[in-house]
Amino acid sequence: MDKAGNRKTGPTGPTLFRQIALRLSGFTLLFAAMDVAIVVVTYSSQPESLAQELLSLEAERVQSATDTDPDYLAGPPGADRWSARYIDDLGEIAGASVGSANGGRLMDWTRRERIAGGYRITGVRSVVRHGKQHWLLMQFEGDGIRPYAPVILDEIVQHVAVPLIPLSTLLLIFNIVAVRRVLKPLRQAEAEVDALDPDNGFHRLSEVTEPREVNTLVRAVNRALMRLDEAMAMLRSFTANAAHELRTPLSIMQLSLDRLPPGEVRDELQADTQHMTRLVEQMLDLAQADALAPELLEQVDLADIGREVVAAMAPKAFADHRDLQFACHGNTIVLGHAEAITRIYRNLIDNALKHAPGQTAIDVIAGPGPQLSVRDHGAGIADEDLPRLFDRFWRKDRRKTDGAGLGLGIVQKLAQVHGGTAMVENAADGGAVFRVTFLAAEPAKPA
Amino acid sequence: MSIMRLLLVEDNARLASLIREGLDRQGFAVDWCESVAGAEHALKINAYDLMLLDLGLPDGEGLDLVRKLRRAKLMLPILILTARGGLDDRVLGLDAGADDYLIKPFQIPELAARCRALLRRPGASLGTTLIVGNISLDTAERTVMVGGHTIEATPREVSLLERLLRRAGHVVAKPALEGALYSMDAEVTPNALEACMSRLRKRLNAAAADVQIRTVHGVGYALFAPVSTDG
Repeated sequence: MDKAGNRKTGPTGPTLFRQIALRLSGFTLLFAAMDVAIVVVTYSSQPESLAQELLSLEAERVQSATDTDPDYLAGPPGADRWSARYIDDLGEIAGASVGSANGGRLMDWTRRERIAGGYRITGVRSVVRHGKQHWLLMQFEGDGIRPYAPVILDEIVQHVAVPLIPLSTLLLIFNIVAVRRVLKPLRQAEAEVDALDPDNGFHRLSEVTEPREVNTLVRAVNRALMRLDEAMAMLRSFTANAAHELRTPLSIMQLSLDRLPPGEVRDELQADTQHMTRLVEQMLDLAQADALAPELLEQVDLADIGREVVAAMAPKAFADHRDLQFACHGNTIVLGHAEAITRIYRNLIDNALKHAPGQTAIDVIAGPGPQLSVRDHGAGIADEDLPRLFDRFWRKDRRKTDGAGLGLGIVQKLAQVHGGTAMVENAADGGAVFRVTFLAAEPAKPA
Repeated sequence: MSIMRLLLVEDNARLASLIREGLDRQGFAVDWCESVAGAEHALKINAYDLMLLDLGLPDGEGLDLVRKLRRAKLMLPILILTARGGLDDRVLGLDAGADDYLIKPFQIPELAARCRALLRRPGASLGTTLIVGNISLDTAERTVMVGGHTIEATPREVSLLERLLRRAGHVVAKPALEGALYSMDAEVTPNALEACMSRLRKRLNAAAADVQIRTVHGVGYALFAPVSTDG
């Protein structure tokens, strides 16, 4: 099975956060462009106020340049003529009527007039220099929009950048927080979905109350899980029921065969029936191993169970002229299901009886600690077979009809239910060692 | 010994007739009924030595019948014959009060052996003679005969042999065998069992007994009938 395509590092598409941030930036830019357009349109329809702004800007520059003679300062860009000077009397400017000096940022007086090849702007502003009030007279002649560029730029900074940058920064931060908050229940659900294991039944995802979109998704997934659970239960009970129902006809077959006259055909049919019986038993065992709930585990002694199984199987081993012996190395109390552990021992011993050659002995060992092992004295297991040994329905040689290749799969599944593992290795001095580990039981409380 | 009378409760007619026929040849008399109601009726009119009970019956659960009979203090041995071989089924069956549990499919010799084992249980049988191969042991007289000749044996050895013979073909755990020694007298050294077993083997070999006593290291001992006879 290839699970690589299903790993967590899946598609690298844009994250929700990136999508929102990108769109937000787009909208901010669009909004800024609209703002700029509005500024430009507004001012070009009001040349008077543009002129006033232009001179105000220049006045600011002149004033900030303190002692320099204002006339030496560069004027607005693209000026055909530019002059600025301090004067004390406004009389020389025709038509200029200035009320009281306002001392503010705006011009006290501005005039825009058309001249040949462009326009002239004249303005006066009251300034205070060295503790004395002066008038700053500025005159500018130019053409087209270019002289206004600094004004428009200033306007853009003032009316577009200044309000938009903090606003969009705030929106971005809000976006981070909001996306995190909204996605948190999704992350949790993702972790829960990742932990789902069909072998242990599907736990439902924990429902979140908000946001509602996640809630409906989680509930939809839970409904799907419920249907999956039902399907799995049906599959399991089908396997169990099918195996179960086969037992009575198998009994009839076996007992009927016993009534046939002895002979080769009868022996063959009997062997076939036994093979089928074994297969049915293993299918049922596997279905039950899949369904065994870890909650049913209790304190059991691996040594006690091992002795019982060895006692039960010794006659069969002796009949094959094999020696089956048991040893206990201590501390063998584990959390387990007695019947399940019996099947683990039995399947491992069966496996050893079948695959280790001739009349070699089989050692069954409980401990040391929470583990059991079954050791044969055969040739050991080929390295290339080691990883596949526990696969269901795997057999070294399919042409051999004995066994279904389920025994070790059952052992592994039962070990997993016990929170342990099943493994196999070759002993240094020959033979295969199958080992199953368990969880040690908590030390018994004094009664 | 009178013929043992068995009640078979099984709803599959074909299987039932095969079991009846098989047990018949093994020397049992088998009555058959197909339902819980039929079983209850049969138990009222006849006295049976043993009941063989299928679990899924058309008119009820076999386990319910077991519980009902045990509540009514009916101590007749019950052997459950079932297709249910789940991890917990056996325990459930024994907890309900059944004496043994045999999963289908089974062979008639095995079924017969289980039946005999149940009938030999204390309370279910009188003092009797145990025979395996050419050995016979009189449980009342405490004597052992090999090939028709009485051999000498200490009470401890007779007691050991009795336990092995009662479970012939099966491994008898050390604690159970040690129990046989303890009941004789108080002083038992740690390897008293091994020593006693070794003397018993020598005596049986000397008398040319055809049974075999095997050691199952770490577990106990088992006595096997000679291979040539049916087993």
